[in-house]
Amino acid sequence: MSQAPIPVAPAPERPLPTPTRESQPYWDGMREGRFLLQYCSSCGKVRHYPRPVCPHCFSMESEFKEAPLGGTLHAWTVCHHPFNFFFKASAPYIVALVDMDAGVRVNAQLHGIPEGELKIGRRVKLGFEPVNKEVTLPVFVAE
Amino acid sequence: MVHPLRDKAAVSGIGETAYTRGTTKSGLALQLEASLKALDDAGIDPRDVDGVIPYFPGGAIAEDFIANLGLKDLTLSAFIPMGGATCVAAIQMAAMAVTTGVCKHVLISVGRTGYSGSRVSTRLQQFPVFAQAAEFEAPIGMFAPAQLYAQGARRHMELYGTTARQLAEVAVVTRQHAILNGNVVMNKPLTVEDHHASRMISDPFRLFDCSLESDGGAAVIVSATDRAKDLRKPLVTIAGVAEGHPDSPASIAQRPDILEFGLVKSAPRAYAMAGVGPKDIDVAEIYDCFTFTVIRQLEILGFCKTGEGGPFVMDGRIALGGELPINTHGGLLSQGHVVGLNHVIELTRQLRGEAGKAQVKKAETGLVTGYGDMGDGSIAILRRAA
Repeated sequence: MSQAPIPVAPAPERPLPTPTRESQPYWDGMREGRFLLQYCSSCGKVRHYPRPVCPHCFSMESEFKEAPLGGTLHAWTVCHHPFNFFFKASAPYIVALVDMDAGVRVNAQLHGIPEGELKIGRRVKLGFEPVNKEVTLPVFVAE
Repeated sequence: MVHPLRDKAAVSGIGETAYTRGTTKSGLALQLEASLKALDDAGIDPRDVDGVIPYFPGGAIAEDFIANLGLKDLTLSAFIPMGGATCVAAIQMAAMAVTTGVCKHVLISVGRTGYSGSRVSTRLQQFPVFAQAAEFEAPIGMFAPAQLYAQGARRHMELYGTTARQLAEVAVVTRQHAILNGNVVMNKPLTVEDHHASRMISDPFRLFDCSLESDGGAAVIVSATDRAKDLRKPLVTIAGVAEGHPDSPASIAQRPDILEFGLVKSAPRAYAMAGVGPKDIDVAEIYDCFTFTVIRQLEILGFCKTGEGGPFVMDGRIALGGELPINTHGGLLSQGHVVGLNHVIELTRQLRGEAGKAQVKKAETGLVTGYGDMGDGSIAILRRAA
């Protein structure tokens, strides 16, 4: 009697964003390598993450415009424990919270700067990391 | 003007199951077991409960309590989806309900199979407020609270010089208190060296900076003070209670100050309602999902200034016998994780004089906080009736 093959656990899948009607333009921009942010058509203020109403003037009209890629480090963490097993292979990795020059914050993995060189206010730049045909994620690198 | 809720409602009954790692009971069974204990503690017939606020998501709905406890006429059922701030926020809703006559006795319950059932990363998917983090932060490898809150802790350390030694102190003192309690998951002494040697989870949080994944149930009954004073146990009134939601409530990343929690808004309201300040607090049960969260809440609560929370916890100040004993039961870090309802239970015991080896002498006024989701903050100030 031959033994049944030992089942191999499927590789863990990367969690991917599920864009909403509000956020779709942001993710479309990412895919095109453009950092698009939502600006109020009435008062001009930027808001992130994308949402239907401007919390400053309550206008529901908005447009997505390309924003500058630079920013400064606001805080960070170094993730050692992979709460999602997809990230086990790449742990430990740095997740940086950055004050973008555009006036919003972005959280993304930081590549190419050692943990010991991190400090609040350090300049970094947003880059683009395609993970499949549909999805590109932001990533921070040295400016 | 005295706030219309001040001292008008009371914590009339408390109950909890064994806190363990490994149970065959369901979350519902744990809630019912704790609820029956709380009702017995109060001397209330289970059928007379007319308000139920079960923890969400926690495996029970208010209707389960009708079916199991034979409630005759349920007049209030609610969920309060505020994560770790839920239980203390539920005290506010219960106090409103019994003070206005909508309810006689409101039951607040939590039952959790956080160790033997689903673990934290699974449970988070059920929290509505985590949708934004799921879209923008989970894909970059950041979703669990240990990761999301770690950035704030790191910023506090960079700005104010808060140290890992100070984080460890919270864990070590909390463990000392747990050992006195007996009904705890972690019952062996913890040293600063043990803390520093524990594995890194998400810098600056090591394993022993993080609360437990455990199984257990807890329940609290809130009744109008006029009714509670004729019940079985010494009267403990709700002097002040409040919930608060931070700006950018679903995203810490976009919050103007990532170190501002809902407690910044709710604490002043609760103090004003109670007519007391930080100096009047004899004992505090502070929501301790992480060691740093305790340090920052002590600042927000006015026990020290922003940036001074690290030094504040040192030198025995937060231990039994110190200036402000905190988490005298062992908290979420060492007793068990029932979303902080165990903190409400412990504060009630302290004010009744039932805290055993962990009893704070002359405990008359105490404070309990909840902290959850992306920084919602709730607070209750309880006091022993004169």
